[in-house]
Amino acid sequence: MRMNCKIIIALIALFVAGCIPAVGQGMQLNIVGNPQSVPAKMDIDQLKTILKGEKLRWDDGVSVKIALMKTNTSIGSYTCERIFNMSTNELNKYFLAQVFQGKVKAPNFFTSKSELEEYVARTPGAIGVSQNTAENDGEIKLIVIDGRKQL
Amino acid sequence: MIILVFMQPVAKLAAQDTQILGFVAAEMFYQDETLNFGIGEQDLFITSRLNDNFSFLGETVFKFSPNSPTDFNVSVERIIVSYNYKGNHNILFGKHHTPINYWNDAYHHGRVFFPTIGRPLLFMADFIPIHTTGIAFQGLNLGDLRFGYNLMIGNGLGSTDVEENNKAKSVTALLNIKPWDGWHLGAAAYRDVISAGSVVHGRLIPNKTTQSLFTGTAAYFGQKFELLAESTLALNDVTGSSRTNSYASYVYAGLRLNEKVVPYIRLDNLQYDSGEQFFDNEDTTSIIAGFRYEVNYLIVLKMEYQYTDRDISGSSSLLNTQVAIGF
Repeated sequence: MRMNCKIIIALIALFVAGCIPAVGQGMQLNIVGNPQSVPAKMDIDQLKTILKGEKLRWDDGVSVKIALMKTNTSIGSYTCERIFNMSTNELNKYFLAQVFQGKVKAPNFFTSKSELEEYVARTPGAIGVSQNTAENDGEIKLIVIDGRKQL
Repeated sequence: MIILVFMQPVAKLAAQDTQILGFVAAEMFYQDETLNFGIGEQDLFITSRLNDNFSFLGETVFKFSPNSPTDFNVSVERIIVSYNYKGNHNILFGKHHTPINYWNDAYHHGRVFFPTIGRPLLFMADFIPIHTTGIAFQGLNLGDLRFGYNLMIGNGLGSTDVEENNKAKSVTALLNIKPWDGWHLGAAAYRDVISAGSVVHGRLIPNKTTQSLFTGTAAYFGQKFELLAESTLALNDVTGSSRTNSYASYVYAGLRLNEKVVPYIRLDNLQYDSGEQFFDNEDTTSIIAGFRYEVNYLIVLKMEYQYTDRDISGSSSLLNTQVAIGF
């Protein structure tokens, strides 16, 4: 009886552990943009350049505004790894240093993807990184990166 | 309705997007058989986006000054109004870090960013003009090589932050590229004419002097290795004397063992022309060995040993620890 209990507890533990996703495991990121100014497609190197704040304006002259999830969220943490190839600490340090030099404006950081997507939808020139985003009535668009809408 | 009227200025302030950051450091060092505790500069840093084209950057430092009645002085280090007129091209007005070398542009008062505890010796030796008040034309991250330029025209040495002391303007020209991730290669030149009777870095300049500075920079900050090497050649042409050639260089190298720990070394060398009149004419060599422990991007601990050998005043040793934070 005691052995059966142990087996059941172990199975439950395995089931629960399997239900908790590791950071980034199976996660798909979307690059979202305001319909105004942000191009519909780009390659990953162009995306990195833009999200690192190295491009100040889009081709039509509208300024680039960057929207990222906070690095202590699972999307933010995976964004650091997948797109910037940095740890969360490295990304925060990078932007702090760039702002201190006066060369980059700090990105807008959000705690929820709905807030991020709402900001991108209402801000011309805004581009951001989100997850499981649905294109909705022209308010926000999914940017195609290297031919794919998910990263 | 009344509430809405009172809310309006608040909304405008929020739209202005102003950020305030601060940096400070505390040190504990052992020198001449004495243990010392000290607080470093407290740096208040403000950025504000004024509209789509204009932005503001201000940096004010509170630092120990034995001549002040309160023992502390306030120093305005940077006031920059930036106008982004096209793409990655800006016009900057105000008081700047002179873009004559990488360290001065990248770190200056933010000790949490410094790879070592203190600045290279060429800063202590007043080898380069740290600040310039004037106008700059700047380009950033242009093309595949991420080319950058900065042409600055400003008040020269011996002038103040509010007016020039002669007709000559200082001119600084900087070119750099970042061809690969982590790399930064640059070259800069500075020229100014200093009037006879000017006081520069607390020193009276008796004769008219034309100063030209040339700097080369190679930097690599990768996930494993860090390298920063800079060298400056100073040509001082003093009326009535021959021209002098003096050099100041440093090389920093670090090895990142993991995300937090970076042991490092730094070599500094100051080499003066025997006829040099503009600087303290004392050849100096220094070696630093230490390590950095980055708790996170806002808290950095450093410990290092520095041995310095000066031609006239002899050698000295310093064991130093520092905690630097951003807040």
